[in-house]
Amino acid sequence: MAFTDRSDIYGAVHEEGLNRVVRHIMRQRPSLFNYATPFLAQHPDLLCVPIEAAPEVFAAGNPLVTVQQPLPVLAAPQPVGLNYCVQFTDMEIDFHDSDTIKLPPELGELAPQRFALRLKGCFGLGCLPDGYYSDLIPLEEVLAVTQAGRDSFSLSHVPERQPRDPIILPVRKLTCFCLELFAVLHFEWGKIGKDDYLKVRLDGLEVVDLRPVEMENIIECYAEAVLRLGILPRLSVKIEKMVLDITSVLRQQGIAVGQQISLQPAPVPAAVPNNPAIEDDQLKVFVNLVVTP
Amino acid sequence: MAHLTVAVSEATFIRSFDLLKRNFVFQDSDLQDHGAFTLGYDVKMHLEGGQVDLRADNTVQIKELDIRWDRLKVIIGLDIPEICVGGGCINMPWPIPDICLPKVCVFSGDPDVSISPDFASLVAQEISFTGSLDARYFDASLPLPSPDPCSLLRIDPLPTNNQWQIFLDPQTLDIDLFDFPDIVGNLIENALTNAVTALIPGGWVRDLILAIIGGVADLIRAILDIPDDIQEWLSDLFNVSFGLLDFIATLVLDFFASCNPFYRVDDPFEILPASGGLIPVRAPIRNLSVRVDDLEMVVQADVGA
Repeated sequence: MAFTDRSDIYGAVHEEGLNRVVRHIMRQRPSLFNYATPFLAQHPDLLCVPIEAAPEVFAAGNPLVTVQQPLPVLAAPQPVGLNYCVQFTDMEIDFHDSDTIKLPPELGELAPQRFALRLKGCFGLGCLPDGYYSDLIPLEEVLAVTQAGRDSFSLSHVPERQPRDPIILPVRKLTCFCLELFAVLHFEWGKIGKDDYLKVRLDGLEVVDLRPVEMENIIECYAEAVLRLGILPRLSVKIEKMVLDITSVLRQQGIAVGQQISLQPAPVPAAVPNNPAIEDDQLKVFVNLVVTP
Repeated sequence: MAHLTVAVSEATFIRSFDLLKRNFVFQDSDLQDHGAFTLGYDVKMHLEGGQVDLRADNTVQIKELDIRWDRLKVIIGLDIPEICVGGGCINMPWPIPDICLPKVCVFSGDPDVSISPDFASLVAQEISFTGSLDARYFDASLPLPSPDPCSLLRIDPLPTNNQWQIFLDPQTLDIDLFDFPDIVGNLIENALTNAVTALIPGGWVRDLILAIIGGVADLIRAILDIPDDIQEWLSDLFNVSFGLLDFIATLVLDFFASCNPFYRVDDPFEILPASGGLIPVRAPIRNLSVRVDDLEMVVQADVGA
C-alpha cells in the first residue's frame, strides 16, 4: 500500500523525531517554557531548574525566560513583590500505540488518535528572610496607621490611592517544588488567517498525587489554562512545514503558493478516516496539492 | 523507522514537474569568425509537452519533452574579396582627351553582407531521458568549482545555508538532431543572393563583375564551402560546428542532474519562524534519502539530536 493512496502528499513524524524537535524548541526558545520575575531573569542561576539553552540563544541575546511581574504581597500598604519562577521541563510525547508514558489512572488508557504528554512543572518562590521583615515592618506599620483614616476596606469599595512602586527584594535562593503533569492531547487542522495550520488541542490534564484534592484541582485548572491559552497556540505548525516545505522550490521560482498552488488537508472521511492521524507511534498528515489552472 | 517521511504521489510529481518546466527558459548567442565568413546563432527556447513516469526500478522517465524555439536565428556574414573594375584610361591622340573609365569597387566591407533569418517556427526537437533520484548534501561553506558549470543554468541563486537537495540524475538521454527542412536552405540561399546582388551596381559594371565571379550563387557556395544541400550544411552547423546539440544535451543534463534540484530541504530545517526578536527554531536534518516506485516518491530523514 502506497503512502499516497489517499492524498497527493503524505507526511509523517515518528514520536522519537518529534521528541527531538521538542527538545530543540525547548533549547532554542527557552522563554516559551520558563517564566520569572525581572530579578530572576537577570540571575538565571537562581532558577529552580538550570536552563539548557542553545548557544545561538545567547549569541542573539534572546531571553531565557519570559518576564513576569513579581507576586504581590496582598494588603501590604507599601506594595511588596516576591520573586518567583514557573518552569516547564522534561517534556516528552508519546503517540498512540505505544506505552512509553504510563498515564495516571485519572486519565485512563490512551485512546486511539490521541497522544500523551508528560512534563514537569516547577514553581519557585523567593521567600523573604527574617532580616528583611525587621526592615519592612516599621515602614508598613507607619503607612498602615497613616492610611487607616482614609482607606475603607469593604467588599463594595476599593480604595483609590496613588500607586507606589513595589519593593522587590532580592533573594539568594528560591524555595522550589516540582510536579509531574500528564496530559492527553490530539491534533487537528484549523485556519489561522487564510492558512491551514496543524493545531494541538488538550483533552485532559492530571497532576499526580497532590493533596488536598481541591488544591490539585486548582493547580490543574491553572496549568490547563496555561497550556490551552499560552503554550499550545504557539506550537501551531503551518501545513507546508508538515510536509518538509515541499512547495518551497515552486515558490522560489515565482509560483505563488496560495494563488497558483495551495496545500489543503485531505477531507475526512471522504478521503481518509482520520486527518491528522495518530497511529503506529506517528503523527500522519494527508495533504492535497491544488493547482489553479 | 525514519523520524520523518514525506511521500509525493506520481500525479503530484507530474504537476510539480509541469510547473518547473513552465518556468524554464534558456537563451544563448555566439559569433565565430572564419575569415571569409562569420557564423553565429542567437537562440531562445522553452520546454513543452513531455510525459513523466515514475518507475518501479527507482527511476523517473521523461518522454517526448518538446524543445520549442522562441528564437532560432542563424547569423551568416560574408566577407567577399574586394573586386574593382574600371579606373584605367585609353590614351587618345591630341587634341582628343583621353577616355578614362570610372573605377568601381564592390565588396569593400567586412562583412559585405550579413543576414540573420529566424527559423524558430520551422524547427522542433524532442528530448527523452531516464534518470534516477539522487539526494545530495550542499555544504554552503565549501567553495564552488571553478569555473562553475552551473553559473548560467542555475534558476535559483545558491543557497546561503546548508541544504539537502534532490536531483533527477539522467542515465540515458535521447535528443533529436537539428534537421532543417528544404525550405530553410532556399530561404538562406535567396537571402544571401539578394543581399550580394544588391551590392553590385548595374550596367556594364554588373556584367563585368558577374563575369569575374562566375555567378552570385556559386560565389556564396564557394565562400561558405557548402558541398551539396544548404540545409544539410546548416544542420551540420548547429549539430556539430556550433556544438549546440551537445550544449543542449549538457544543458538538460546539468539542469536536472547538477544545477537545479527539484526538491530541497534546509539543514537545519525551520520549525518555528523568528518572532519578536527571537531566533527561529531549527532542527538538524540527518540521513535524508529518496526513493521512487511506480506510485510515488518517498523522502525520509531523521531529526538530528
